Amino acid sequence: MDQGMDAVLLAHRVQLMRFLESHGAGDAAEDLFQELWIRVTQRPTGPVGNPLAYLYRAANNLMVDRYRAERQARQRDHAWSEVRGGLDERAPIPTAEEVLIARQELGRLNAALGALGERAARCFRRFRLDGVPQKQIAAELGVSLSTVESDLRRAYAALIAARRQSDDA
Amino acid sequence: MTHEPTIEATAIDWLIRQRDPAFADWERFSDWLGADPAHASAYHELALLDGDLEALPVHPAPANDAPAEPARLSRRWWLGGALAASLAVVAGIGVLRQAPDTQRIETALGETRTVALADGSRIALNGGSAILLDKADPRRATLERGQALFHVVHRDEAPFRVSVGAAQIVDVGTVFDVTRTDGRTIVAVSEGAVVYNPASSNVRVDAGRRLAVDDSGGQAVVGPVSPASVGGWQAGQLVYDGAPLSEVAAEIERTTGVRISTSPGAAAIPFRGAFQTSADEARMVEDLAALSGTRATRDTGGWTLSR
Repeated sequence: MDQGMDAVLLAHRVQLMRFLESHGAGDAAEDLFQELWIRVTQRPTGPVGNPLAYLYRAANNLMVDRYRAERQARQRDHAWSEVRGGLDERAPIPTAEEVLIARQELGRLNAALGALGERAARCFRRFRLDGVPQKQIAAELGVSLSTVESDLRRAYAALIAARRQSDDA
Repeated sequence: MTHEPTIEATAIDWLIRQRDPAFADWERFSDWLGADPAHASAYHELALLDGDLEALPVHPAPANDAPAEPARLSRRWWLGGALAASLAVVAGIGVLRQAPDTQRIETALGETRTVALADGSRIALNGGSAILLDKADPRRATLERGQALFHVVHRDEAPFRVSVGAAQIVDVGTVFDVTRTDGRTIVAVSEGAVVYNPASSNVRVDAGRRLAVDDSGGQAVVGPVSPASVGGWQAGQLVYDGAPLSEVAAEIERTTGVRISTSPGAAAIPFRGAFQTSADEARMVEDLAALSGTRATRDTGGWTLSR
């Protein structure tokens, strides 16, 4: 059934491997390509109008997921080395403390978004949380597309800054 | 300003563009990413942040606010699962949410019902179907099986969401039809657009398009559909453009209550054309057989179409 996707994967192996390497896959690129293969051939997937773009997106998600897992492992290792002396096991369920920290962090991000002003915050929520295309947001808010673009850029920049501050704190 | 954008600003631009499901400029993105390790690390930092934002409350906090209080955080925050948002988490919660304030509406084969929601939205339920409504969250419905046509009153702050299997369909526009049978989901859009699985595959299905996907991991397909034909079952008017005969038979069965199955050899025959259901059961099935180049035989369990 996934014959088609297998063929596209094979035909673009070099490009996709290069993409994984660009993401910093290093020596693991080969293994990650295998993982990509498994992801796209064994999981229920969305529809595929442009198979190569779909594979790139899947590869991109794979790499971002990998960095997320690494970050979580790092944070846990750090927290645990103080409390438990460094157990290797990763708890799949966040602890109460982690939930609390996450909640505070979200509060800070939410406040940073609010500080941008109503239009930019609303623009960003529509884009990121509701998945509305930029053109439609521009029409809804009665502003130009370039205003929407610049609001989105400002919002992401402000959120990154807010996160860095809380990381430093 | 004339100087080069910072790495961070470029990373932001890429990420914003990539949120468009139609983004296809991956090769150039790959070049940029690989050009400097600082590019990749800026992008990763941003992408992790972006993933975490899934958990933000949908409604803005009051202006003078200190960090949001737990009580103000929406369900969405909770869905996000402590900054570790993943599709698995969302799907898991979906299963948990079988609360007592859930209303289940079911139709027998051949019976259609229209459900009016408090916000003015309407759900037309074809025969042989079951849908769950959540009184606590009127902007959400779960199609367990069968077929439903959604006329959704779009609200910016609360998009309408339909759960089907492990997937989510989020309305961006207004009228769409969802069919759920034996591990297969079909979404046909007649007005506006929907987004299929915004948290993962994030595929936009516009008016005049039809998405089909199997739970088994088979490849899903988006193809054209005549917008006017979407939800045609309400008037007994069924229009197909190459749908497998088994799906056509199942839709007629839901709509009319006449049991029609397809033999293994006939199930995959692509069916094109318009079909009007009728009270004259034998004639209707004969017509279907003639249009699809099959033979109809009748036994105690209903009709069978075979080559």
